[in-house]
Amino acid sequence: MASLEIRLHGRGGQGGVTCAKILAAVWAGLGKSVQTFGDYAGERSGAPVRAYTRVSDEPIDDRNKVYEPHHLLVLDPTLLGEHVLQGLRPGGTLLLNTEEPIEAFGDRFLRHRLAVVDATAIARRRKIGTRSVVIVNTTIAGAFVRAAGLPFEALEAAYRRLGFTGNLDAAREAWDAVAIREARDVDAKAPVFAPPATAPVLPLVAHVEGAPTGLRTGSWRSQTPRYVHALAPCSAFCPAGNDVIGFVQAVAEGGAQQASEVLARTTPLAGVCGRVCPAFCMEGCNRREHDGAVDVRALERWIADTAPIAPRAERASAAPRRFAIVGGGPAGLSAAFELARHGHEATVFDGERALGGVLRTGIPSYRLPRAALDREIEALLALGVKTSLGAFLDRDRVAALAREWDAVILATGLQRLRGVTERDDLPGVEQGIRFLHRVNMEGSVRVTGHVVVLGGGNTAMDCARVAVRAGASRVTVAYRRGREEMPAIRDEVAEAEQEGVVFELLRQPLGFEGDERVRGVVLAEVELGPPDASGRRSPVVTDRRSTLSCDHVLLALGQTADLRLLPEGWALREGRAFARDAPVNVFAAGDLATGDGTVAHAIGDGRRVARLAMRAVGPELAEVEELRRPDRARAVAATEIRFDHFPKSPPLGERHVPADVRVRGFDEVNLGVGDPAAAAHRCCSCGECTRCDSCLVYCPEGIIRREAGGYAIDLEYCKGCGICVTECPRAAITLKTPKEMHA
Amino acid sequence: MTTELLSANHAAAAAAALAGRANRVGRGFGGGVYPITPQSECMERLCDERFDKGQVVRVESEHSAMAVCIGFSIAGARAFTASSSNGLAYMTENVFTAAMSRLPIVMMAVNRSLGPPWNIWAEHGDTLMLRDAGWVQLYCEDNQEVLDSILTAFRLAEDRRVLLPVMVCQDAFILSHTMTPTDVPSQETVDAFLPPLDLPHRLSDRPRTVGALDGPRETEVPRAEMQRAMDDVPRVYAEVQGAFEATFGRRLADPVVPYRMDDAEIALVSIGTTAATVRAVVDEARARGVRVGGVRIRMFRPFPEDTLRQLLSRCTRVGVLDRDLAPGQGGIVWSEVRPAAPQGSIVQNYIVGLGGGDIRPKDVARILDDLCARERAGKPQFVEVG
Repeated sequence: MASLEIRLHGRGGQGGVTCAKILAAVWAGLGKSVQTFGDYAGERSGAPVRAYTRVSDEPIDDRNKVYEPHHLLVLDPTLLGEHVLQGLRPGGTLLLNTEEPIEAFGDRFLRHRLAVVDATAIARRRKIGTRSVVIVNTTIAGAFVRAAGLPFEALEAAYRRLGFTGNLDAAREAWDAVAIREARDVDAKAPVFAPPATAPVLPLVAHVEGAPTGLRTGSWRSQTPRYVHALAPCSAFCPAGNDVIGFVQAVAEGGAQQASEVLARTTPLAGVCGRVCPAFCMEGCNRREHDGAVDVRALERWIADTAPIAPRAERASAAPRRFAIVGGGPAGLSAAFELARHGHEATVFDGERALGGVLRTGIPSYRLPRAALDREIEALLALGVKTSLGAFLDRDRVAALAREWDAVILATGLQRLRGVTERDDLPGVEQGIRFLHRVNMEGSVRVTGHVVVLGGGNTAMDCARVAVRAGASRVTVAYRRGREEMPAIRDEVAEAEQEGVVFELLRQPLGFEGDERVRGVVLAEVELGPPDASGRRSPVVTDRRSTLSCDHVLLALGQTADLRLLPEGWALREGRAFARDAPVNVFAAGDLATGDGTVAHAIGDGRRVARLAMRAVGPELAEVEELRRPDRARAVAATEIRFDHFPKSPPLGERHVPADVRVRGFDEVNLGVGDPAAAAHRCCSCGECTRCDSCLVYCPEGIIRREAGGYAIDLEYCKGCGICVTECPRAAITLKTPKEMHA
Repeated sequence: MTTELLSANHAAAAAAALAGRANRVGRGFGGGVYPITPQSECMERLCDERFDKGQVVRVESEHSAMAVCIGFSIAGARAFTASSSNGLAYMTENVFTAAMSRLPIVMMAVNRSLGPPWNIWAEHGDTLMLRDAGWVQLYCEDNQEVLDSILTAFRLAEDRRVLLPVMVCQDAFILSHTMTPTDVPSQETVDAFLPPLDLPHRLSDRPRTVGALDGPRETEVPRAEMQRAMDDVPRVYAEVQGAFEATFGRRLADPVVPYRMDDAEIALVSIGTTAATVRAVVDEARARGVRVGGVRIRMFRPFPEDTLRQLLSRCTRVGVLDRDLAPGQGGIVWSEVRPAAPQGSIVQNYIVGLGGGDIRPKDVARILDDLCARERAGKPQFVEVG
């Protein structure tokens, strides 16, 4: 006879049989004879399963199941009933996996040694299980070993032998967490857990009478599948706050008009972003792990070109307020857009004669054709945004606006330009931003000879490529770090190179040569040291110097915010101005406030600050929701996507005019996407149901049915097996515990 | 040698892999496999194994699984598969072909009820149905015996005097899914026990037809050869037992395993794991002075009639426990044991544990009581357990 018998109750898929094996391995490691086996029932996940372990000092010759266990483990509290408790010896240990604290059991099970632990919570937190179902066996074993009075080291040794060491911490947590109440009244008559009455077996050839009784497998369920809207990484990564997955799926489902309407809810400048954005969405796209990111930027541009963005007012405000926006760049336009959509009066002040800011004065037209920009600005004006153009504002004027308007939003961007030396005014040396302004606003600017551009950002690339088009015989970009560290969009660097621009990397400018006019740039060689605060390797300037002779130098060394616009004694804190320590209704948006440096960031920040301003101006606007910066950490991860559902089809990418043709003028060089529908259909729709029927097809119970807009699950029969969750290609279903269902 | 906590399914797969690798200097190893509960764990583990020569082939049915084994075997490779229940029923045509072709294939069969009703638990009717297929049949009682019997089966099957396939049988779940510490021998010792297969009639570079249409004499002569080969099996088995003990240092169970039979007047005969429960009841009855013993039939083909006759010669009462039923006849084991029992003895059949019913000591004790109280044998008795 075995000296110790253990019975375990769980559900198919919870790992009960392996749990019994773990216990056997623990005792085998302590030199005992062991035997362990499962009692397989319906072989369906969720079906009640029993497993047994015998331990003895003698060889075990018993081939029967365990009827009077010394210890009982119950992995699923919904199983707890007399069937389960049957035969448990008085004084025996009853270990329950339950959310309930031990006190909740009151005077139940007094004749048994009661132990309780929430192994499911521990295993869930530690992500032990399949992609859908929490598996508790390796966790609860820790609680059992403690309840059985065995050393934790015995479990450690067993996990090493079984290759489960990754779950040791969970077992240790359960060991620590298990609550134990000693048995009382052991000598008293044990509770009688009577065996269930057995129904007579009818003859097979008898007439069938009545309807067969249904097996309500829903009673097996400990977790419930729920369709969810999980955050797609493209949307999480978009600094503008666009519903990226929404507009891509809209292209796939309904075409350009439907997608344009999605975009018009979050951005007035989709045609701009679709051309000049570094495409953070594509950086986050899970499909990169499979065969390449979806061509999101090209799709955004195609939508805006095919069905122009037509922003609409969401509501007419009962009490419209007046907002002054200083600066007509992307942040200002976006703020105006958000305010106008909420039914308020927004007036944009700008020193130029046309709106657009850096989009107009900085970005060359071969990247952003003016027609595309003008179209979106016109649509914004059609929404009711007013303008006041042609006069730059100083701090007195800003102070006056602050008094006269409900609120002022400053969105003047980065106006302070970095230089090299005090000789930056040497003829032939020019700030790149001014050079681009001349080209963009005055037209037909010509340069000759060798042009050297100093810097490695997008302004540097624009200067270099404009110089190529404006007649330079040779263009060199000198940058103080390596190619990897260049902040410019990679495609821009590649395209500049295709157009003949030469890169001198790891070169720090020290000064200029030439008396009347610049004749050369003095460069020092640079070595890369350890990473700095930005994560980029910091340049270490050596004393090896050389002179690069040239005819023009364009400075593109970076820009910073110019806060001289703020009245005396004012300061900016998180986008709001404070006069001494009192908040005033003056806000800052975009690069002026954040220095993030992209159009997409400016758009997102413009809308965010517009909402801050609305909430600040009147209590009646308090219900305007705050916009939060997207949380990338919450996005659906690539590991959650079932790529085997998606045949490989690498992206086709954007089409470009050949380099030798495009350098002849300022026509747009990027021709966009060739087959937008195909590009959109590559989207995996991470976290958003596409009604692909995978759940319905794979459900072993056949109890998922189509319903308007999605699916319905018959919870009478859903046994919580999690196969729908596992098979969902896009992580749009998750399993919820009863507690989470209530939450 | 290592000791591992293994299910008998995994033990069987481990043994097959060791035996397969032992033929790497010969023509390698192969087999077709198709899953069926409760055997699937065995083929799963085997599919994880890699072989220098040959491979495990996943096919679309049991019929093809055996066909692949036949192909491997006739090409001179060591061949193995595993199946159970309705899978064996579907495989049957090729089960016969393998034996009639005298191919030393080894099959692990997990004994499971044939449906309907659909039932995945222990019953012996599936392999007993194949008792006339020309295979040697061994029924095991514990996990170690399963592993040892797979190794033994290859040596026995490949002996020139035998050249018959061998079926190693084990009870569903009671063994197949039960894990116990099991000794797994090293490859070197298995190499020493299992020399490379040299199949005399294997395919070569001289083309010929295998299994062609033939006349009556070309049929009856090879059949008679099969019977003679079966007659040689007990002697060869005894030799293999000796070699096994010399190599692995433990004794391989005999074709018939008696328990406290020396002075027994009453015998309880069974196959498979039921024998362990019988032993517990024998001990308990002996303590009360009942002169009862147990007999486990390990080798069912060739049927060890002479050994049984000798063992049962002093018995007046013989109870035969069948976990199977041939409707219209009764227990299959009983019908084969009956001629070996002494004239005039009471030989009573008990049908017990069908569909995986848990045969507990109290059930066997009831059987013993019934047997002791009888004045004559009756029709097969159905014993409900639980």
